[in-house]
Amino acid sequence: MAGIAASGRKQAKWVPYAMIAPGMIYLGIFFVYPIITLFMESLSTNTGSVFLPEFTFSWEWANYTNAFSEYQEQIIRSFWYAFAATVLALAMAYPLAYYIAFRAGRSKNLMLGLVILPFFVTFLVRTIAWKTILADDGWVVSLLGAIGVLPSEGRLLSTSWAVIGGLTYNFLPFMVLPIYVSLEKIDPRLLEASKDLYAKPAKGFRKVILPLSMPGVLAGSLLTFIPASGDFINAEYLGGTQTTMVGTVIQKQFLVVKDYSTAAALSFMLMAIILVAVLAYTRALGTEDLV
Amino acid sequence: MARNTEPNPALAQRIEAQRRSRRQFIGRGALVAGGLVFAPSVLAACSSDGETSTDTSTGGTTGTSSDSLRISNWPLYISDGFNTAFQAATGISVDYQENFQDNESWFAANKDALNADQDIGADLIVPTDSLSARLIALGWLAELNPDNIPNMANIRPDLKLLPADPGNKHVLPYMAGIVGIAYNKAETGREITSVDDLWDPAFTGRVSLFSDMRDGLGMIMLSQGNDPAEPTEEAVRQAADLVASENANGQIRKFTGNDYQDDLTSGNIIVAQVYSGDVAQLQEENPDLEFVVPTGGATQFVDTMAIPYTTKNQAGAEAWMNFVYDKANYAKLIASVQYIPVLADMTEALAVEDPELAYNPLVNPPQATIDLLTSWAPLTDEQEQTFASIYTDVTGG
Repeated sequence: MAGIAASGRKQAKWVPYAMIAPGMIYLGIFFVYPIITLFMESLSTNTGSVFLPEFTFSWEWANYTNAFSEYQEQIIRSFWYAFAATVLALAMAYPLAYYIAFRAGRSKNLMLGLVILPFFVTFLVRTIAWKTILADDGWVVSLLGAIGVLPSEGRLLSTSWAVIGGLTYNFLPFMVLPIYVSLEKIDPRLLEASKDLYAKPAKGFRKVILPLSMPGVLAGSLLTFIPASGDFINAEYLGGTQTTMVGTVIQKQFLVVKDYSTAAALSFMLMAIILVAVLAYTRALGTEDLV
Repeated sequence: MARNTEPNPALAQRIEAQRRSRRQFIGRGALVAGGLVFAPSVLAACSSDGETSTDTSTGGTTGTSSDSLRISNWPLYISDGFNTAFQAATGISVDYQENFQDNESWFAANKDALNADQDIGADLIVPTDSLSARLIALGWLAELNPDNIPNMANIRPDLKLLPADPGNKHVLPYMAGIVGIAYNKAETGREITSVDDLWDPAFTGRVSLFSDMRDGLGMIMLSQGNDPAEPTEEAVRQAADLVASENANGQIRKFTGNDYQDDLTSGNIIVAQVYSGDVAQLQEENPDLEFVVPTGGATQFVDTMAIPYTTKNQAGAEAWMNFVYDKANYAKLIASVQYIPVLADMTEALAVEDPELAYNPLVNPPQATIDLLTSWAPLTDEQEQTFASIYTDVTGG
């Protein structure tokens, strides 16, 4: 008995490492190494030609400061759009997830299916479809024009509202599903208990359901905010000349201007800002769980 | 109050039965989904389109690599049956790929291989003249053997002296196009004739320009009296500043690549910089659209045929070029693609294909129009980066 237990302990020591080794090797090759290379490139100067660059590492922090001072408008705009899209998505997703979790009953699966259904169509096609919906002579613009709430340009396409709308629409399912999951996990007996203790429905929501759904809100917000801030497809198809996001800038710097150091510096700045924002947000919500 | 959490045995049995059948359903569903995912690829592989990436291997000749030719061309830039006719005439089989989508993306994807003298999977490529200038400067193109291409004599005289490659040592022109202006006559209410009309306040927010530096700024520089054939940084800056100030006024709705077509046909944009080859299709979708070469002059772009130095079949590629330059074959290409011929005196050959086409000024422009056209000079690396950077700052927001 003791021998078996002892051999079990001996096996256990290296087995976990062996099991995560494939994943770690994969991450090491395809994530860690490229990130390190990119970081070193962002701090290098180009000593070769424009088209055959040779990067010499020189702690060139000027790459970062120059990139930020030149493109701070686009950086701030990207985060503002991503933030607006996240808030709008949250405002729409929470009631929807609440309804599906607590009131849908039989049609729960159907409604979840409907939420996911747009994902069967590719991201690009969905964004281009919005060009038709928001067309200048379409019914949406006509209706809003009749009410009088169109932006100053007199149209919806090629304005920031179309871009924010596109971002919200594309990431809405990412917000709905995590909130739904964490709402679904709430034990209904807790709500019953609050009723027994004379809590009105609004207070029951505020004190019981809302805090317990925070992990879902956190997960959904992360899944929406982070990709949205780096997005450039919506800006390209639905936006105009004043709505460029930092993703477009990085793409242009890389492909057209071929300034790889600046493109790398911008990418890392984007990552760093997102990390800081996410940490602050997690602290504010008071939870580190994602489910 | 204690809740009875023991399942009803009958209910449990029904749930079990459901679970099995649901598992079957998921299994079958996965099969169906897998079939749906792979069916298009299977169908595509089975059907022979004729022009897109098929290997028309011959039965008679030996299938050695010297008898097969790999071509990398832009999408929709060939006519049906062209490669089959070529193979019938020469016995060389063609592996034709339409994977040349964008000059910069192609360059970014292939430069490392070319730099290391590795095969890039193509024996003949079709870069635009700006890219071929760069490739020539980098020494990545093979030198052509004019003896294998006697039909070179048919080339338009003004194109024998391509700024990028005078004497046609490394590249030969394939097709040309004009960067002009298209406008919606019904919406503008008047004719558009020059670049200054782009800035008419009546069109605020409904104008689009190209985001590519050469295509966007070319005609604007000409309207300011500067010449893209001798570009200076001041001239580029002058044109870019004009665009920037108009953009700040809200005049320009979008900086486009090839994606102006939807907006133009739907009426979101009423005056746009366009490529001449797209106009025929645009006019089909919206008959109110007109195309004009601005009176101040316009730039033309020339897509060229080039052979990378890593090629495995230079003779075959040169034979293909020669085949293209035969006027009857070239007329078929033009009739299908509707860009501007690079051969001289195509009127008769085009009339055989389609009499209307021969007199269409967009496809067979008169000499007066050709005189208005300029080509960009080949730029040095520093010029390329500086000019691109100046214009990107304007278009980037």
